[in-house]
Amino acid sequence: MMTNVRTRRPGFLAVSALALVLCAACATHLRNAKTAYTEAQEFSRLYQTEPAVAAYKRALAEAGMEARRNPSGQAYMLKGMAEASLGLWRDAEASFIKASGLGFETGEAWASDASLLGLAISFEELGLKEPALRAYENLLSKSAFKPVRLAAAQRYADLTLARALQLSERERSRALADAVRTIEKLEAGDFACGFYHYFHSQVESHRADYRRSYEEAVMARELGLPSEKALRDNDNQVIFCYDKLTGSLPPAESEAFVAAHAAWLKKWGWKDARTPGWKQDHPRK
Amino acid sequence: MSKKDIESALARGVEILNEFLPVKTYLFFPILYSACVWAVRRVFDYRERIFSWQVWLDPEEVRTKPDEFILHFFRSHEALGRAYADEVSARDMKALRAAFPALYPVCGLEDAFLKALFKKELAASDYRKIAAEFESRATKAREDIRSAEESTHFWAALENLGAELAALGIHLLKDEEVQNAVIRAVKKKAAKSAKSR
Repeated sequence: MMTNVRTRRPGFLAVSALALVLCAACATHLRNAKTAYTEAQEFSRLYQTEPAVAAYKRALAEAGMEARRNPSGQAYMLKGMAEASLGLWRDAEASFIKASGLGFETGEAWASDASLLGLAISFEELGLKEPALRAYENLLSKSAFKPVRLAAAQRYADLTLARALQLSERERSRALADAVRTIEKLEAGDFACGFYHYFHSQVESHRADYRRSYEEAVMARELGLPSEKALRDNDNQVIFCYDKLTGSLPPAESEAFVAAHAAWLKKWGWKDARTPGWKQDHPRK
Repeated sequence: MSKKDIESALARGVEILNEFLPVKTYLFFPILYSACVWAVRRVFDYRERIFSWQVWLDPEEVRTKPDEFILHFFRSHEALGRAYADEVSARDMKALRAAFPALYPVCGLEDAFLKALFKKELAASDYRKIAAEFESRATKAREDIRSAEESTHFWAALENLGAELAALGIHLLKDEEVQNAVIRAVKKKAAKSAKSR
């Protein structure tokens, strides 16, 4: 008997150790997923897109392993949130449905938002612009899930502006006024979101209200933008408005505007009124 | 800072790329140049950065611009304005709008990777070629680079290279000098390979 126990002990120990390692691995996956997701959010908050995207991908991989080994509402919720942040709307919908089935109550509403956004994107890709636009508007007015709201806002702005270009002047002005109202509502809900002010600036630019467009672009820059690309585009918008305004304002007003612009340049570290730090010098006409 | 040391570091960079992307030599310049740009900014999370390229061409900015913005873009850049002078003076918005989605990321947003990918065309001020080939070449580059993504050694090697370039003082070189140094390193390797064939 003793011999049996002795001979069995190494195997028993190995199995126990393996079980412990697997348990620890499960706990580690969930913990790693949470850590990576928190890191990603922190990077997003600091508008560092690339490391944020990489951290969301790590969170997704870890949450996926956790969900496979130890399915739970929490694991699927984390997986869905990482997928949504990466724009994988269909995957996010499936994860939130599973999370909801495993006790995560908000999962159903988030799944429905992700599903509607995925559907709207498909509509847009298939050229069905009107239903896509209606779906984005619906999400903007009702979704409580921020990644969905931001993605819908960006697509709404682009689609509305593209549609406005096809309209007669009168209809265009009405469509752009509607777009401004929608964006102002978003700003009222989250005034510190630089991305909303960036959209606002873009729409005002289509309305040829360069003063307002400039002010919104400055606000977007001050509050921060979620990617380097958006930041650079916003800087180009600031330059465009600056040129338009200096060319059209009465001399006294223009002087005051140039002085105010100079103060922003100093703060932002631009080389001159038309050259942000990231831009290489191009000879201009 | 020794230019010689920088050149030998870049030559090692070419060897690394040759190992991981042996038949994708057209990517050597854009990747190495992007690595140099990041080295200047002392950002060494290459894997993270290139990882994010999977969503690289997805819209991150509002792409629909008013006519006035597009005209301003073409007028603000002298060489570009010259290349499209007829369309700009005739306000041919159909033609300008068709070229804008390709030229704006390269010349307006100054994406380091795209600028390097179209270096030859930019040097020759052949903006019309960029407009015509942008979509297919940018998509192909993105797909080709994915083949190296799996290897952690690739990223580690690139990170080390960037750290070395930063330590060697690459930030003291002008952008044009950096580009020329990378081109020399890539050409040297191509000549060597041709000789050994």
